[in-house]
Amino acid sequence: MKRVGTEAIGSLFWLAVGLFFAVGGFLLKLGTLRNPGPGFLPLMMASLLIAFSLFLLVRGLVEPGKVLKGVQWKPQSVLVVSVLIYGVLLGFMGFLLSTFVLMFVLFALFFEGKRRMPRALFYAATTAVIGWLVFSVALKVPFPRGALMSMLR
Amino acid sequence: MDFFGNILTGFQITFQPVNLLYCFIGCFIGTLIGVLPGIGPTGAVSILLPVTFKISPVASIILLAGIYYGAMYGGSTTSILVNVPGEAASVVTCLDGYQMARQGRAGPALGIAAFGSFLAGTFSVIALMFLSYPLSRFALAFGPPEYTALIILGMTILTYLAQKSMIKALMMAAFGFLLAYVGIDMLTGRTRFTYGLSGLVDGIGILPIAMGLFGVAEVLENMDASGQISIFKTKLGNFYPTRQDWKDSWKPITRGSIIGFFIGIIPGGNATLASFVSYATEKRCSRHPERFGHGAIEGVAGPESSNNAAFAGGMVPLFALGIPTSVACALLFAALLIHGVQPGPFLIPEHPEIFWGLVASMYLGNVMLLVINLPLIGMWVQVLRVPQRILLPLILFFCIVGAYAANNSFFDVVVMMFFGVLGYLMRRFDYEPAPMVLAFVLGPMFENSMRQSLKLSGGNFVIFVSRPVSLTLLVLAALVLVSYFVFKKQREVLDEKETKI
Repeated sequence: MKRVGTEAIGSLFWLAVGLFFAVGGFLLKLGTLRNPGPGFLPLMMASLLIAFSLFLLVRGLVEPGKVLKGVQWKPQSVLVVSVLIYGVLLGFMGFLLSTFVLMFVLFALFFEGKRRMPRALFYAATTAVIGWLVFSVALKVPFPRGALMSMLR
Repeated sequence: MDFFGNILTGFQITFQPVNLLYCFIGCFIGTLIGVLPGIGPTGAVSILLPVTFKISPVASIILLAGIYYGAMYGGSTTSILVNVPGEAASVVTCLDGYQMARQGRAGPALGIAAFGSFLAGTFSVIALMFLSYPLSRFALAFGPPEYTALIILGMTILTYLAQKSMIKALMMAAFGFLLAYVGIDMLTGRTRFTYGLSGLVDGIGILPIAMGLFGVAEVLENMDASGQISIFKTKLGNFYPTRQDWKDSWKPITRGSIIGFFIGIIPGGNATLASFVSYATEKRCSRHPERFGHGAIEGVAGPESSNNAAFAGGMVPLFALGIPTSVACALLFAALLIHGVQPGPFLIPEHPEIFWGLVASMYLGNVMLLVINLPLIGMWVQVLRVPQRILLPLILFFCIVGAYAANNSFFDVVVMMFFGVLGYLMRRFDYEPAPMVLAFVLGPMFENSMRQSLKLSGGNFVIFVSRPVSLTLLVLAALVLVSYFVFKKQREVLDEKETKI
């Protein structure tokens, strides 16, 4: 079996995006040339995207080119997921605590070596407190209070 | 045209203590961002944009512009001392700058980079002043068909200049336009592509997109390369280039300024491209091309001048036509819109304080940058010692807070993370984000002008070719497209040469 190159994988993704917008644009009113509707330009641009990605797909299948390798997916996924969890925590624990948790995970992810955990704790606490003072207290960004905080009160 | 009156007004605005402060903050942050590898000026500007919501439009533009040209100064420091570009426009500075540092001439290298930037910055601000006003007068006569044609030409040149593949750049442009159509259709009031998500009704914001593509994606990419930065230990000595250095450098600085300024005007001609072209030009002009790559001061002076000039060059189409030509300008464009100022040919007559205030602040900012950069170099070297593993989580934290603060909703953070992952994958798969961002910003203008043109003509596409100005623009766009396919072979050969320098 021939290995599929990066070009083909990438173009498949954009093909899907193009189809998605093309169908969406088609379902919106296309209008007439005399009075183009809301779906007119989306369909036009989506067709362009589809045409080009088909071209890349064919070319990518004929000559696979380079194959993706040496990518660490794990730390990146942990990072993205922890930010999304942060969004949930924010509503529950408030800015200060949830930022501490997020930053601890992040620093622990980036640090290496022996005193990894204590150092991550230290940096996370510092970031959370300074961040809270700067953004919440001084700049008055209205972060959610957090259900937990309200309960304690 | 009352130039002196205008520029005087500009200085009066800039010398207001508040604006002076914002100019300084902008230059300072810009230098900081430039020095730090791992985050570029675009990420920084998009993080800081929400902070500028509350200050006046003039102050906000002065601050954001300061970050950009400040970063051009700061980037050279990292290139010269560490052999790692602080930001993309300083990549070529590594070649000769680092070699100079190894030969014990770090001081003059930093000095010529700063003085060259200063001279180029000053030159290009003057050129900007003289070019924008007449161009905006000319553009006042533009109707919807002309704007449609202008955007088509702009996007064609932009994708033509794309570093990777023009087809991929065109795809990214189409995708950018599509993203711009999410939300309420301005002409009919219908919502498009929102799928019941209330966060999408007002459209996707430029800020979460830019923060994702240029902030989060950069963090994710840097996780792959956990390289240790080693600062070259050297005595910096004095910064003043010798007489011989000046003799070698004044021509590269002049050429770099002019090249950079005009490349900045072209769509897609950003500071990075300007620095590459300048380096190649200097190598070709030099009587001793073999010295390049071994510490030739011309190889520092030219590119560092031209990347500064390119930023001011980009201001010309932004302020005269309302068309951003680079990602940097696209964010300034967005900032103007957020402050309720419509970029376009009416901007200078209607808001002279913004344009002339910015011009005056750029004169002043260039002086400030000399002061910030040279005497304080020791401090910036210390900044460089902050390890990546501390910096990257902090950058991500700033991105999250910035995205949240723009609309006080976590939805924007999710959008930002989405574009962060997308941007990371795009880098991996050799897709460039610039055409996407520019198309996204120009999307609404393009759609309106195209639909209005078709309404004007009763559905006849002839309207685009029956008017002389739009015909000329479209013919130019066609020529660019044709030349891409004709010169494709030569381009590839050229690219190979460029990568070898």
